[in-house]
Amino acid sequence: MKKLLTLFVAAVAILASGVIQPVKAETLRVGMECTYAPFNFRNEAGDLDGYDVDVAKGVASIIGAELEFVCQKWDGMIPALLANKFDLIIASMSITDSRLEKMDFSQPYRISVGRLVGKKSADMNLFDDMGAPIAANFDGVKVGLERASTYASWFEAKLPDADVIYYDSSESLYLDLVNGRTDVIMTNPMKAFLKFLSKDDGAGYEFVSPQIDERKYFGIGVGIGLRKGNDALKDRLNIALKTLTDDGSLGTYAHKYFPFAIHNEQWTPVE
Amino acid sequence: MSFDLALILDSIPKMLMGIGLTFQLLFLSAALGLTLAVILLLMRISGRWYLSAPTMVYIYIFRGTPILVQIFIIYYGLPQLEFIRDSIFWPILREPFGCAVLALSLNTGAYVSEILRGGVLGVDRGLKEAGAALGLSARDRFIHITSPIAIRLALPAYSNDFISLMKSTALASTITLLDMMGIARTIVAETYAPYEIFISLAVIYLILTWIIQRSFGWLEKRMSRHVRQ
Repeated sequence: MKKLLTLFVAAVAILASGVIQPVKAETLRVGMECTYAPFNFRNEAGDLDGYDVDVAKGVASIIGAELEFVCQKWDGMIPALLANKFDLIIASMSITDSRLEKMDFSQPYRISVGRLVGKKSADMNLFDDMGAPIAANFDGVKVGLERASTYASWFEAKLPDADVIYYDSSESLYLDLVNGRTDVIMTNPMKAFLKFLSKDDGAGYEFVSPQIDERKYFGIGVGIGLRKGNDALKDRLNIALKTLTDDGSLGTYAHKYFPFAIHNEQWTPVE
Repeated sequence: MSFDLALILDSIPKMLMGIGLTFQLLFLSAALGLTLAVILLLMRISGRWYLSAPTMVYIYIFRGTPILVQIFIIYYGLPQLEFIRDSIFWPILREPFGCAVLALSLNTGAYVSEILRGGVLGVDRGLKEAGAALGLSARDRFIHITSPIAIRLALPAYSNDFISLMKSTALASTITLLDMMGIARTIVAETYAPYEIFISLAVIYLILTWIIQRSFGWLEKRMSRHVRQ
């Protein structure tokens, strides 16, 4: 009988130890599309890879959390977050006012910028050392832009006299640049690199401006989304992102896919 | 669906800023297309196979493909060829306006030459024979007998094609031109108000069509005033 009791106690102890782990790590479930290369996608080995995935792993290692990735279609992303299907959205989601009404965002880990692309060695000298456009040097320069894009608004505000031609798709933007109907185009540098500059057609072309990151036109950027009321978690995420910025990790993640950084290299928190 | 009247009143003047370009496209293409059509017609009815066969192929190709495809081939396709970019035509083909006029002219030329051929075939044989009996040369018979009657016969069908050409000018907006359609599409992209903008634009085109109809109607009446009692 005593032996049986000992056995019972031992059994309970074993069971209990399985349930109540004293040093169990926190698990953060991260929602992403898993199909959005090169930010979050499955590589040839079938593993999740990309800039968002690297950021998620980097953040998790700093705050000491386990990661669990949840693949979620884009249109259900925010509802799934709100329904507690996962804790964070790290899916290249831009921080916008309408989204901020429903959810919180960390500081941006990727910024929204515009950049001009033109012929190599054309020496158009369109921007000064401070990164401001030199209006006089835009005389006679034909600029290709996507219709009603943020870049179009930027041009209308900054260079209202520029000779602008509007296009319906980014493909025709690149085509007419190559065909010589425009001299420069302004677009998203990541898209320009992936779709054009890294291809044969884009071989004779390069960025002819610095990254232009005016928040008023291009938005704040891409942040980690989380449910409202998790301010402690949000602070930890921001500290982790600052660390990843300062130690150059974000730059390293970006350089796997792009020859330039895609985050704000100077940590400047936005509110 | 709410209908934003203020937006309409605001955008109509903006769209009308493109009416000049719409007219330029229309009249230039119509003039060039008509010239081309007459040349094609003369080749077609010349009775020489080496002149009429290429004409038939040309008409088949340009009537047999969508005009949007023709515009895209001319605008995006031709510059892919190095020798086009080095040729004397590049200053015209470089400009979207040149490409649009070229595509519209080539297209309307094919249709109009068939319309004119219909007119020529409609001329009564007896009249031509009468001309021959009077000792008129073939050239004189064509210029003084066939042509005036053929033009009168072709006019109603031609007015149809002219209206069709006017509407086709809207396709120029697909190759960056800011005609009325191009401006409307920009406004829609900015305001997300397709109903208001496109309906106002449709009304503008309807007014233009009405003016063209009335003009051709007047022309028809004037040209057949000799048969009126």
